[in-house]
This record gives sequence, C-alpha cells and structure tokens, in this order.
Amino acid sequence: MDPRFDVELVAVTKRYGTTLAVDDISLRIPRASYCCLLGPSGCGKTTTLRMIAGHEAVSAGDILINGDNVTLDPPIRRGTAMMFQSYALFPHLNCLDNVAFSLKMRGIGKAERHAKAREFLGLVHMANYAERLPSQLSGGQQQRVALARALITRPKVLLLDEPLSALDPFLRIKVREELKRLQRELGITFIHVTHSQDEAMAMADLMVVMDDGRIRQSGPPREVFEQPVSAFVARFIGGHNVLQGARGPIAVRADRCRLGVAGDSPHVSGRVAAVEYQGTMVRVALAMDSGDEASALVPDAAFYSAPVEPGDAATLVWSEPDAHVLAEM
Amino acid sequence: MTYVRHKTPLPPAGKVEVRSTEGEGAANRHTLFAFVRPLRLTPEQVSWLQISPLALVLFCLVAAPIVLFLVVSFFDYDRIGIYPAFLMDNYRDLLTTPATLRVYISSLKFALIVWAITLFLGFNIAWFLIFHIRTTMMRTILFLLCAIPFWTSGIIRTIAWIPFLGRNGAFNQILMALHITEKPLTFLLFSDFAVIITYVHLFTLLMIGPIANSMGKIDPALLEAARDAGASRWRTMTDVVIPLSKTGIALGSILVFTQVMGDYFVVKTMSGGQSASIVSLLSNQINAMEYPPASANAMLLVIFVAITVACMMRVVDVRQELVK
Amino acid sequence: MVVAVSGSGRALGPSENRPWTFYALGGLFFGFLAFLYGPMFVIYLLSFQGPNGGVTFPMVGTSLTWFRDIVKPEQMADIPAAFERSIFLASVVSAITVVTSVAAGLGFRRRFRGSFILFYLAVASLVMPSLLVGFGIGLGFQVLGLHNNMFTSALGAQLTWTMPFGLFAMFAVVNRFNRSYEEAAADLGATAWQRLRHVTLPILLPGIIGVAMGAFTLSYDEYARTTLTIGNHNTLPLEIYALISSATSPMLFAIGTVTTAVSFLLIGMTLVVVFRMQRRRRAIATEN
Repeated sequence: MDPRFDVELVAVTKRYGTTLAVDDISLRIPRASYCCLLGPSGCGKTTTLRMIAGHEAVSAGDILINGDNVTLDPPIRRGTAMMFQSYALFPHLNCLDNVAFSLKMRGIGKAERHAKAREFLGLVHMANYAERLPSQLSGGQQQRVALARALITRPKVLLLDEPLSALDPFLRIKVREELKRLQRELGITFIHVTHSQDEAMAMADLMVVMDDGRIRQSGPPREVFEQPVSAFVARFIGGHNVLQGARGPIAVRADRCRLGVAGDSPHVSGRVAAVEYQGTMVRVALAMDSGDEASALVPDAAFYSAPVEPGDAATLVWSEPDAHVLAEM
Repeated sequence: MTYVRHKTPLPPAGKVEVRSTEGEGAANRHTLFAFVRPLRLTPEQVSWLQISPLALVLFCLVAAPIVLFLVVSFFDYDRIGIYPAFLMDNYRDLLTTPATLRVYISSLKFALIVWAITLFLGFNIAWFLIFHIRTTMMRTILFLLCAIPFWTSGIIRTIAWIPFLGRNGAFNQILMALHITEKPLTFLLFSDFAVIITYVHLFTLLMIGPIANSMGKIDPALLEAARDAGASRWRTMTDVVIPLSKTGIALGSILVFTQVMGDYFVVKTMSGGQSASIVSLLSNQINAMEYPPASANAMLLVIFVAITVACMMRVVDVRQELVK
Repeated sequence: MVVAVSGSGRALGPSENRPWTFYALGGLFFGFLAFLYGPMFVIYLLSFQGPNGGVTFPMVGTSLTWFRDIVKPEQMADIPAAFERSIFLASVVSAITVVTSVAAGLGFRRRFRGSFILFYLAVASLVMPSLLVGFGIGLGFQVLGLHNNMFTSALGAQLTWTMPFGLFAMFAVVNRFNRSYEEAAADLGATAWQRLRHVTLPILLPGIIGVAMGAFTLSYDEYARTTLTIGNHNTLPLEIYALISSATSPMLFAIGTVTTAVSFLLIGMTLVVVFRMQRRRRAIATEN
C-alpha cells in the first residue's frame, strides 16, 4: 500500500479540563510536502504538533502517519522526529553524543553510532564542532545540531516547533532556504509551526491557518493569499483591507488600492493616519470615516507625484475585480 | 550573574574627583561632609569592606580554633590543667587504641547507610515534586510539607521517636492491633535501627532540597527529546536526569554525610549506649577535661571530614552551583 | 525507519492518564510524610497526658498538667528563663546575621582577592562537626583566660552556624537580582547609598526576611555549638537536653509542643509578611 498522505488528522480534539485547545480538526498532508501551521499564539498549532509527535495525548480522533494509525503509539514508533523550540540539546553531552543519542538508546555500539552521527553532523555542516558542548555553540549552530539529532532517526515526518524564532532576521532567511532545501533533498514531510505569515508563505507547500483551536483555511499559500475565506484570515496573513462591500464584507489587497478621488469605482473616504516609507513602496494608513482602518501600498513614484501628510483627507479607491467577497466574517 | 568587572583607572595626579563607578560603600560629594576629601574605594576594596564581618567571624571562630587544636594536640595534661609541650603521645594513643578505629567504622557505617536511604528517598521525592506535580502552587505546598518539621528542634524530633518506637509505643500497638506481631518488637528502640530511623527523619530534607533544585533547572523539553529518541523511563533517568542533577546529589550527599559524622546526640539518645560515634567519644574526653587528646581527636576528624568533602566536591563544582 | 526498542512501548505512548510511576512515587511521597509527621503527632498527643500517665501510651485521661509543670518554680530546670534567653539570643543572632550576610552577599558579586578562601571557610564552617566548633571556641576562650558567656562565646559559636547559612541563602537571593536596576538608578543620579537604600534593599527584602527567619530558628534550636560555649546559663535546647538525661516525664513532650508552636508561629508570621509584601507589589504593578 502506498498511501497518498504522509499525515492525516481525523477529527482530532484536545481538551484540557473544560477548555478546548484543539477543536475537531481534520487535515491531510500529501507526501513529501512542506506544511506550515500558522496562527496567533494560543490558537492550538503547537498542541496539534505535539499530538502528532506523541508528546500530548489525543482527547478524541485519530492520527495516521503513512497510513498507520499511530494515535496510541509512543513517539519512537511513529516515524516522526521533533525539533524543539528551545532545541532541547542535552547540555551534558557534546554534539556528537547528542546526535548519537537515539542510536545509543537502540543499543548500537559506540564506533558505529559515532560514525553515523558524524555523517549527519556533516549533512548540516557541523562536522567540525563534534566535540563541543551545546553551551559553546551559537543559536544557529545549536539549531543545526538539533536538526541532525532529529534526522538521524530517519523520520518520515519532521516536526519543527517555531524553529526560527530564536534566530536573528538575517540568519532566519538563510535557515529558511536551507530547511526548504533539506526537505526537498530528503523527500520527507516537514511540519513547521510558526506565527509569522512571511515565514509560512515563503516556505509552505501547504499553509494551514489556525485560530481558536480550529483550522480556518488550508491550501497552497498563493490560494490562501488570493482567496482568503474570512476576515480573520485576510487580516492575519496581512496585506489586505477588510471593508464593507455592497453585498457584505470584502477583502481588497492593499497593493491594489490607490489614493484618488471618489468616482465610479468603489471607494471609501477617511483621513491619513500615518505614512510609512518602505523603500519600493509607501504605505499610507487611513482612518476611515466609518471608524475602520485601512491602508494603501502605493509605489514610491506614484506617492511622491502626489504626496499626502497625516491629517489630510483622503479617499481609498479600488477596482471592482480586485474585491474578493469573504464567505464568512 | 552578569557582572562586568570594572577596571577603575587610577586617578591621574592633580585630579581631585574620581568616583568609583560602583560600590555601595563609596562616599560621594553630595553628602553633608562635602568638605571632607571624598573617600575613594576601588570595587575590590568595597567588597572587602562588605565581607569583613563575615571574614572576621570565620577566621577568629573557625580557622583559629583549628590551628588551636593543632597546637594543643601536642600538649601535656593532667587532671588539673594542660601544659605546653611537643608530645606525640596524644596522637600515638589515639591511633593505637582499637576504640578509635571502632568508632570511625561505626560512624562511617551509619553515614553510609543513612546516605543510601536518604539519597533514594530524596531523589525519588524530588522527582515526584518536579516532574509529576504540574502546578507551581501544589509543588510549593508539598515542598513546604516536607520542610515544616525541619523548623522543629532536632532534640525534640529525636525524642519524638521514643514514645513511638518504645516497647509500648505507638508503632508496636499498631502492629499488634493489625495482628502483624503477637508480642511487641523490642529491637525498635535503643538500637542501631532507632539511630538510623532518626537520622533519616532528621536529614532527608537536606537531600530533597538540593536535588529538587537541580532537577528544577532541567528543561522539560529534554525529557521529551529523550523520549523522542526512544529512551525508556529508566534510560531517561540514567542518561539525562542523573547527569544533570549530579550537583544537587553531591551537595545533598555532603550535607547528609557531614551531619551524620558530626552527630553525638542521636547516637547517645537512641542507641541506648550500645553505639558510639566519633563525636560522642570526643565529647566524653571533653567532659573529662582531657583537652589535648580531645584536640588530637578533633584534628583527625577535621582532616577526615575535609578529605571526604573535598573528594565529593571534586565530582561537581559546588562553588559554581552556589554562586550561579 | 526506527523500530520499537522495548516491549514496554505501550506504556510510553501518550496517554491522558498518569503513568504508573506517578502513583508509585506519590505513594512513596505520602508514606514519607506519614513517617515525618507520625512521631511528632505522638508527642503532641502525649503532652496532653493525664496527671497519672507516663511517657508512652496508653493515655490516662487528658490534662494540661504537664504544661503547667513547665512554669512551676520548684522544677530542677528553669524552663521559662531558658526560653527567654533563647529568644533573646536568637534575636541578636538573627539581626547580626542579616546585616553581615546581606553585606557579604553583595560583596561576593564582584571577584576579590581572598574570595576563594572565604568561600571554602564558610563551607568548612557548615560541614565541620558542630560540637568541634564549640569545643574550639571554648578552648580558645580558656587559653585566652576569658570566661564563656552567652553574648561572647555562645553568640560567636552560633554565628559560625548562621552566617554561612545566611551567605549561601543570599547567593540565591542576589543571583535573581537583575543588576540593571542598580545601573538604571545610577543613571538617574542615585548615589551609592541611595541605590542601596531605595533600590537594592527593597527588591531583596523578601529574601532578607527569609534569612532573618532562618537564622532565628537555627539559633533557637542550636545545641551542639552552644553547649561548650554557653557558660553558666543554659538556652532552651540545652535545658531540654539536660532534662532528657535526668528525668523523663510528659513534661518533656509539653516543652516540645510549646517550642514547636513557637517555631510555627514565627514561620507563619514571616510567611504572611512576605506574602503580603509580594501581593502589595503585584497590586502596585498591575495599577501601573
């Protein structure tokens, strides 16, 4: 049997006492894909990841990995490996022994497990640091070692809990590329939890937006960005104005909005609240007369040909085809 | 601790005002006594000022008496007083009497048994409190429950066992009521058993505290990472938790060991005169005013304890642990 | 793919139920608590023994006879006077310990020449058999021709016990103290003394109260260091110690009950003070 999905969640629920952390979610992650679980803090994304990993019991529902129901299996039998947010490297063991730990637990001899561990340290370009203790490494280096330690178990699914949050912005973009490359080369599924929509859009094949214990929308990033289903998704992934259209709420991308004069095209009026120069674009934040907020991303040339200042009256204009009707509020 | 050592430059000649960049003791120009040339202290001098009362007490009342033991241990003595001399007799007597070896073995035996029991209890109770209790509030309450008896006098806690373990004591009555024994057990009180029970009662907290402190610093994600790697509970304990809490284990061991080695009261009270400890022997010599042999004995004990503690401290950097 | 390691894998699977180790260790823990409290409850109970009862069960009625005996003047031991002395000495020891160990704790934040020796001397003072410390001090006084006295030799002997304790407690307190508070105060123009008075001490206060309470109870219960240094008048533990060898009556247990009650009262009051202080701070913090 060759299942089409690496991971399937079937009506998975997690309750802590009376509070629902994860509320009846179902999700299918195709083979060898990069899946990002995206959402604000407390939305249940980390709990979902931990349930897939086997570190958190499932209150109801089933988890299938590679077609096998693993709901009651211990972590090691699931074919998953987890990379922890804090990396969780054993502080008393050097890099080599950290990476070799799971092999040691399986009773593999010292020479063999060290050779194997060196190989995986090489994979993440950390072979020269084998004898160092975790405390002697930088955050980025610790992360590589944690990655090697997770990969040495030859997982079918690698689970990453906010892997980039502890890194500085420049490093973050480099590691992003590297994780994506590794995922492609190894041909396994990565499930990556993040609260950053940039990160999710840059990396994901499948982007899953969660809120309040539920999946709000899932799909390829482009689809989610082009067609957000709700005001929440539109706001959370950013770059959208949620406005009141003729037939209910609509979302319009900020870069498709202009500052102009009230004419035939749809428009709303308000005042300029702030102007932010962003290099290629200028973002003009508006306080609408209705009390809502909106913004227009204007190319710099267009902005400077007719500049506005905070306090000026302004009208936000867009064209009808750019308005996307939201299915739900 | 983030402390950057400041190198205060020496004031260039001619300049009047260079204030120490830090130091609570440094006087400054805003005081009433502004006309007095400000007292300038380097940070190190401020530290010396701050630790001086402690240093005074420790040097005069701990270090000096040890030197005194060394000196007096060579003195001559009779029933009336002690006389300066340089005799090896006290040491010769001490090292040749079989009693010395006997009490050292007896004390060591108690220390090892009590160490093993308190380590087992302390490790498991600390594990329970740190890894099984989920809320901080509950953990604090349970820890306080362990700690409260520690605030009651050791003497009271020792004699508390007498009515409990005695021939007609509570324990025997419970046993007989449950028909576990017909006749009261007599070995319970005034025996080595009673001594060990009392020690465990008095000193287990000294083990729980440091071990729980070490375990509390272990990131719970490490246990999950171990589980992820397929480690069983047992392997998680031997390969992750024990190496990471060895500082607490060593610290607790030092405390329990030295407390047992230094005891004379529990042995006297609970063994019914059947056992002696090093210090109870010493206390007999002191009561008999035999100060020079007592000093020789004290010297031997100080060296013995110093060596054992130094060995245990080699296992871990206790200083690092305490200062960090 | 990694295959299962041990046969006990099922038990390691995620489960909302507690693992068996929880129940095993929980049982051990509560067994230990019973062991800890059992004998003490026995003496509390026996201190209410009837006038004709003895030091063991059964209880022959209940009475307050033995509590009354404590204060009876014709007793061979003068418990009330010893109690007074103990409280007084403990207060003095506690005050000195707080001042010196807070200063030393602050001093140890910097490296200074001699810190190494002082640290190990403090360790030595704690691990040295207590009777030996007392013997050394007593012997020293004798050699110098001084008389042992409660406020010289005995006070000193107790300080060798409480000051290292205070120092190590202060290490824990000081390490949690963020140095940037002091730096911020210095930036705002506070003098060294003002920094100490208005920033450092108030932040460290709960810990300092803890040291004061700890030093008080350590001194109040101390006997091994005090016995050879006290001179003519006994503290309470020494008086009890003398009573044990001479007489056994439930009065001993009554004294135990009373001293325990005193300890608990003290701890309770301290905890309330510290708790209130923290709550007030939290209240101020939320207001802001």
